Amino acid sequence: MSVIFDESGRPFIILREQDKKQRLKGYDAQKSNILASTSIAKLLRTSLGPRGMDKMLVSGDGDVTVTNDGATILDQMEVQHQVAKLLVDLSQSQDDEIGDGTTGVVVLAGALLEHALTLLDKGIHPTRISDGFEKACDIGVEELARISDKLEFNKDNLEPLVKTAQTTITSKIINKHKEKFADICVKAVLDVADLERKDVNLDLIKIQGKTGGKLEDSCLVDGIVVDKDMSHPQMQKVVKDAKIAILTCPFEPPKPKTKNTIVIEDKEQYEKLYRQEQEYFVNQVKQCKDSGANLVICQWGFDDEANHLLLQNELPAVRWVGGVEIELIAIATGGRIVPRFEELDAAKLGSAGLVREVTFGTVKDRMLFIENCANTKAVTIFVRGGNKMIIEEAKRAIHDALCVVRNLIRDNRIVYGGGSAEIACSLRIGEEADKISSVEQYALRAFADALDAVPIALAENSGLNSIDHLSKIKSEQLKTKNPRIGVDAVGSGNSDMRTQGVFETLIGKQQQLRLATQVVKMILKIDDCIVTGSDQF
Amino acid sequence: MSHMMQPGIILLRDGTDTSQGKGQLLSNINACTSVVDVVKTTLGPRGMDKLMHDGRTATISNDGATIVKLLDIVHPAAKTLVDIAKSQDSEVGDGTTSVMILAGEFLKEAKQFVEDGVHPQVIIKSYRLAASLVLNKLKELEVDITKSGSKTTRDLLVNCAGTTLNSKLIGGLQGQFFAEMAVDAVLSLDEDLNIDLIGVKKVQGGAMQDSFLVDGVAFKKTFSYAGFEQQPKSFKNAKIILLNIELELKAEKDNAEIRLTNPEDYQSIVDAEWKIIYEKLDKIVASGANIVLSKLAIGDLATQYFADRQIFCAGRVAQDDLNRVSKATGAQVQTTVNNVVPEVIGSCGAFEERQVGNERYNIFTGCPNAKTATIVLRGGAEQFIAEAERSLHDAIMIVRRTVKNQRIVAGGGAIEMALSFYLRDYARTIRGKSQLIINAYAKALEVIPQQLAENAGFDSTDILNQLRHKHTQEDGLWYGVDINNEGITDTLKSFVWEPSLVKRNALSSATEAANLVLSVDETVKNPKSEQEEHQQMQAGRGRGRPMM
Repeated sequence: MSVIFDESGRPFIILREQDKKQRLKGYDAQKSNILASTSIAKLLRTSLGPRGMDKMLVSGDGDVTVTNDGATILDQMEVQHQVAKLLVDLSQSQDDEIGDGTTGVVVLAGALLEHALTLLDKGIHPTRISDGFEKACDIGVEELARISDKLEFNKDNLEPLVKTAQTTITSKIINKHKEKFADICVKAVLDVADLERKDVNLDLIKIQGKTGGKLEDSCLVDGIVVDKDMSHPQMQKVVKDAKIAILTCPFEPPKPKTKNTIVIEDKEQYEKLYRQEQEYFVNQVKQCKDSGANLVICQWGFDDEANHLLLQNELPAVRWVGGVEIELIAIATGGRIVPRFEELDAAKLGSAGLVREVTFGTVKDRMLFIENCANTKAVTIFVRGGNKMIIEEAKRAIHDALCVVRNLIRDNRIVYGGGSAEIACSLRIGEEADKISSVEQYALRAFADALDAVPIALAENSGLNSIDHLSKIKSEQLKTKNPRIGVDAVGSGNSDMRTQGVFETLIGKQQQLRLATQVVKMILKIDDCIVTGSDQF
Repeated sequence: MSHMMQPGIILLRDGTDTSQGKGQLLSNINACTSVVDVVKTTLGPRGMDKLMHDGRTATISNDGATIVKLLDIVHPAAKTLVDIAKSQDSEVGDGTTSVMILAGEFLKEAKQFVEDGVHPQVIIKSYRLAASLVLNKLKELEVDITKSGSKTTRDLLVNCAGTTLNSKLIGGLQGQFFAEMAVDAVLSLDEDLNIDLIGVKKVQGGAMQDSFLVDGVAFKKTFSYAGFEQQPKSFKNAKIILLNIELELKAEKDNAEIRLTNPEDYQSIVDAEWKIIYEKLDKIVASGANIVLSKLAIGDLATQYFADRQIFCAGRVAQDDLNRVSKATGAQVQTTVNNVVPEVIGSCGAFEERQVGNERYNIFTGCPNAKTATIVLRGGAEQFIAEAERSLHDAIMIVRRTVKNQRIVAGGGAIEMALSFYLRDYARTIRGKSQLIINAYAKALEVIPQQLAENAGFDSTDILNQLRHKHTQEDGLWYGVDINNEGITDTLKSFVWEPSLVKRNALSSATEAANLVLSVDETVKNPKSEQEEHQQMQAGRGRGRPMM
């Protein structure tokens, strides 16, 4: 920031380290902010839609991520620019709230800003622009609700849910097996959902990946998969109709928490101590046996002695299972977590139809599958894939799909994808714009134009002539009054998104509009950037 | 232009920078005006935001006090402006930008007189006179909202909160939504309106419209141990017990050491420890509560124990959340589980763990004596929610002030115009220099409507002329700037209301600050302190303030 001089030529320092501060004011500030944001949006544009491309991101320590999930890309890019960071937050918010549409929201925000810039050039006051955008956003949200359809589904008819999940998965790397994955996701969510309260706790769905095998080997396990094996190699590998004791105490002599020392003065006492320790082990194993358990899962370790005893008593056991997994196992099997051996009884045991240790390929990796749990409220999606990158990307895709299904359970209204909803909103806003007599009219028009950015990007990414295609769709929508006509990205020759089965959740779309508008509003409202430190603006 | 001294006599240490006289006074005024220049574009509903970035975090704000605080101003005279903004913020919570603009304008008007050779003390005296006149007039003009018509108090308060929020990011079309939220929150408090009892939680994600008010308490799910998911997550007519003890298997005495000679005694020690914790848990269960909250940790053992008995528990609940639960449900925080009488157990209509964005929230609603409220703010970006919180804080403060003192004036520059008009009239009745200076004060007051118009991109001269004209007429008292349609309007009728307290405080502290700057005619800057300041500056913080 430049130093100011008074009448007699003396500088006065008003701010600390004034000369090091940089300041951008007025139009320059707005322009630079908008340019920074649009460049982020341009970067994501190519990742939009079923034909969108992936990005490869290499982190500082050489980890490679390949993804086309907007939130992940932005997160890993480590954006420096303050205003551009707002867009990163934006996609993160969409991810947190909806889980899907993280790319679309950034593309939309970028387009809005681009159009705002032309309005600024015309000399329209930024707050008038944001007022207009807000009005437009409200109209858009209403229009979305109007054209939305209720998706009826129940336990026996999951088809609509699967279709929506498929739309999400289509743009991801696992789209070759989208039917399978969509099916897995829907079943998983319904297993853990509380349909009465419309609440789904996604923590109860465990996504476990394992390198090797093919993507289509992935499956839904109605139970839990843990990356552990039996504590002793000679224990039996398969337990049918397992009664599981879930313990959070180690197979060791109990230790009081109060500091203690045992004073041993002679040989007899020592032997007594030894005998007592032995007794503990025998008792502990006996207690497990007596309760009727035929499998022990323990959060802590076993003494070698205890391990041996367990083997002798033909009681298979698993040790060092993490707290979260213990909890999931308890929920899945309907068992209770038992904090000490004295409290074990038959009522507290969990049950599973089958517990087996599975070996993969030629490697010695083993995993424990706890399956066929009755009335399970916790499930695992087991993902296989050629390499770690694919598995990670598949996990992200599954997460997105899970979120979408969850949203449908919360609110079962849908709109149609392929840019059709955006076009419908755009048409409607354009119509409303003409009714407004003030400056906001321009802002509304700009908003309508910006909405076209999504179908344009979709068409572009699909290798179509975007402008040509868009104008065709637009006129067709107007002519037929059918808001379901969108970009035919997969080249099936059918542009009605209902028959193509491209569904998106209504709340997801509404959220995109609202979030994008709000962030744009925030960026437009800044007319002064004051920067301390070395960051270049 | 350092002051010349008699040769040979060294009065001050070498390098001491002294500057005095008229030049110094003018330079101070200039410094103040340049600070005001930074904040003045944030005034009003069309005001813009500032983005401040200190290398790590960025703040986007429209709140005058926040901006000058982050600017880190070191100029001694300009600092007084920062101080009045801060005091306005802590005293009334709103109007921080206007107070600085007013002070700046008073100084700008005074500059002319100083240049013309009027003694600063004369200016100060007249300014004081003007201020006291204006404050008296303000008292005369203010309107008691309870007498203003048939509307309910709530609606009236919403208008006040709405005016505050207008200039903020969450204003505009959503202003109404948030104004109502702020009013409902404040109205749910009891007599002394302790705003600590309004919890504001920020959850990133979602749109602003997804923000909601809980007429009770809401807090984020605390860290939980295995077994938590097996607990029930919703209750009707919940009974709540609040604790301040650890429910963990632990050494009861820290420095105790046990010596055992007989290995058989070992088991008894272990059993004794278990017995202690189980006794505690049994007593809690026996108390009949089905929600257990503790300020300290609730371990895995207790979590599972409660899960087995269909009780919900949360450990490590933050102190202020616990206080709010206590206020809302009537539960008393217990430091022991012995003798838990039914009176200390709170109750609430419904409890639920709900998904909010990416987090799970514990929400208590339907509390019998809800003297507390929680606002859960949502928004697309961290800075966004932070600014929303600041704005909401302003609104809450204003509502609180208005509840206590129900006198209001019309905003949009109307009250400033009215006062200015009154002063001009008065000035004509007095003789001497005072007349000119009071006239200048009156002119300075007009800066508020002028800036409002300017920020909205209107022709400020035109608007001011219209306003001046209107204020000479009978019915023109409450005419101010009409932001929506370039022009003027009766802002009292269009519900642009501000508590008169805000204006009173702003006027008196702005005058005080201007007078303070005017009364300084010499700055002596000690070279040593400057050096220290330099060192401290490099250490990243410093408060070496030269003598004024």
